[in-house]
Amino acid sequence: MDAGIVGWGVYIPRKRIKVKEIAELWGFDTGLVNSLRMEEKSVADIDEDSVTMGWYAAKVAIDRGGVNPSEIGAIFFGTESKPYAVKPSATIIGDALGISRRKLSSDLEFACRAGGEGLRISISLISSKAVKYSLAIGSDTAQANPGDVLELTASSGAAAFLIGPEREAIAVFEGAVTYVTDTPDFWRRDCSRYPSHGEIFTGEPAYFDHIVNSVNILLTDLGLKESDFKYVIFHQPNGKFPLQVGKLLGFPKEKVLPGLVTPMIGNTYNASALIGFARVLEQARAGDRILLVTFGSGAGSDAFSIVVKEGIEQVASRGPTVNELLERKVYVSYSSYAKSRRLIERSIGW
Amino acid sequence: MRDVYIASSSMINVDRHFNRGYKELAGVVVKDVIEGASVEQPDYIVVSSMFAESSLNQLDLATILTQHLGLKPVPAIRVDTGESSGLAAVEIAYSLITAGRADTVLVVGVEKATEFPTRVTNRFLSKVLDYEVEVLRNITPPNYAALIMKEYMKRYRVSREELTIWPVKMHENALRNPYAQLKFKITPSKVLNAIKISEPITLYDMFPIGDGAAALILASSKVARKSGREVLLVRDVVSATSRPLYLRDDITRFESIATLISMLRRKYGFRIDDAVYEIHDSYSIYAYIILEELGIARRGASYKEVENLVYVNVSGGLKARGHPFGATGVYQVSEVYNIMVKGAGGVRFDGTFGLTHSMSGPDYNSRLCLLERVV
Repeated sequence: MDAGIVGWGVYIPRKRIKVKEIAELWGFDTGLVNSLRMEEKSVADIDEDSVTMGWYAAKVAIDRGGVNPSEIGAIFFGTESKPYAVKPSATIIGDALGISRRKLSSDLEFACRAGGEGLRISISLISSKAVKYSLAIGSDTAQANPGDVLELTASSGAAAFLIGPEREAIAVFEGAVTYVTDTPDFWRRDCSRYPSHGEIFTGEPAYFDHIVNSVNILLTDLGLKESDFKYVIFHQPNGKFPLQVGKLLGFPKEKVLPGLVTPMIGNTYNASALIGFARVLEQARAGDRILLVTFGSGAGSDAFSIVVKEGIEQVASRGPTVNELLERKVYVSYSSYAKSRRLIERSIGW
Repeated sequence: MRDVYIASSSMINVDRHFNRGYKELAGVVVKDVIEGASVEQPDYIVVSSMFAESSLNQLDLATILTQHLGLKPVPAIRVDTGESSGLAAVEIAYSLITAGRADTVLVVGVEKATEFPTRVTNRFLSKVLDYEVEVLRNITPPNYAALIMKEYMKRYRVSREELTIWPVKMHENALRNPYAQLKFKITPSKVLNAIKISEPITLYDMFPIGDGAAALILASSKVARKSGREVLLVRDVVSATSRPLYLRDDITRFESIATLISMLRRKYGFRIDDAVYEIHDSYSIYAYIILEELGIARRGASYKEVENLVYVNVSGGLKARGHPFGATGVYQVSEVYNIMVKGAGGVRFDGTFGLTHSMSGPDYNSRLCLLERVV
């Protein structure tokens, strides 16, 4: 494949809520919070949605890449929390960024891995020279039933990757595979406000099975082994699963932790693995090989092998880093969070 | 009365069988147990399931299973006595043969418990208590276990730490049981620091939720003699109900167990030290009390004797083998049969008796099955 990463950007809302506060309110055992390895989660405010966050991340990605937006021929927006049920969100972001109107543009939905599918489509478009640059965005303001265990992790954030030809990239894709089955571990029915999930069923037959399969297929295809990778980033629904699946596959904790951001900001769904990946790119050096693994309920997993090239530090410095965004925070109470996330709505008559 | 023998037994591993429905689970053990007993077809089928009408939306499970499995259209009946349903099925099968109404009875225990989120399964499970009196007042089975545990600790001045020995031992036993659901070791601190289910009970004080199926063929001597299976006699299956917890004078006692065991001792010369046991340890506190009621351990001090119990819950018990509700009682009899006849998990018991104990709720009903080696 002739495609690589030309630029990337991330957005994390400023507001944070301590997960223990949610747990205490609903009477969850604190042991549960500790076992999930969760500290805080980001809270999208009343004026932030998946489009505004996705726009910001995409803007930073374009800035980092130093690319003229009019040369971008495709934009894919992966989300499960689009502001409009019908009407593309990718077009809003595309026009707001001044991206060429002669472009492919669509919203992708595959629970938490639509962003990963956006990456795969982008790689194909670039490799086949159908377009010069493609933008893959993963962005979510994840919903959770108040009081559901999901509320301890569901959060908001966005990540965007500008994909271009290998010669312009600071990190190149050397392989990508996708593994998909019909596994109903998590879903939201039409017109339902909040999703349902199969508890433990979201683990073993869903998250673990699909990730293990996609990674093993990729390693076999490329003839690589675990020790060939300096970093590995898994989709991170909580702080525990990525370490568990890493162990299962033979990746030591040290390779997983640099890209594990969920304990600090929660599960940003379509941005989850991608924000972790961006954080790893910001500390990677030329020659490092990175394994990026997405997962989406329903269920599927993409595994990508990426090799970092010279000049990554310079590109990283052209925009706000993930670490800076992680530090930029203000704590809110549950009541303020409930208002921001519209768990309660103002009612003043008339 | 006619003698009753165990002609064969079969189990599948207790697990979250996400990809298999109850018909498939039952089908595996039924095929196996019929082949094992060298009988063509049973005369009678007794099926146990605790909450099939809730979890499977299925009434008359016995008929539906008989039809689905393509068995001869013999009489079939489904038994429900809450958590002890499996042993109640054995009790009915035993009675049918002793009464001369059948020569071979197929007993099938099956439960599909992982189709729903835990809160829903808990709702099903809670129905073993009095729905109108207890469940509507938000009393659940672990709440009662917690009350009993607190009272026990206070009465006998036992610390919470001291009561961790049972689950630790059960997890060790389960390591050797290929059918067990939880095959990993735990430590006392893991028990103490696990998620609280109902103070002071933690996750590791109780059974896991899992699916399972087990089957037995019970046979009269006429049938058992033909196939050379007059080895393990089902000497008796006895049962009793008791008062609800809120009407008991002493909640640290499971009195019906004491009554039943003394009956077996009187009638059959059952000796405590010449038996292998499977007991209904749905909560670790219940294990200590059951050991005391059976006379295996001294009252208020059973935790001190757990370490030396070689022939109690070799399977890992409900705690670690698992508790597929309506199937559990059938698993227990199968396990004791295996230990006495061919050995299981590296343990073989060459003594005379095997005793399984199954109950529903905190001894709301209890059943004992006495097996005896005759060869």
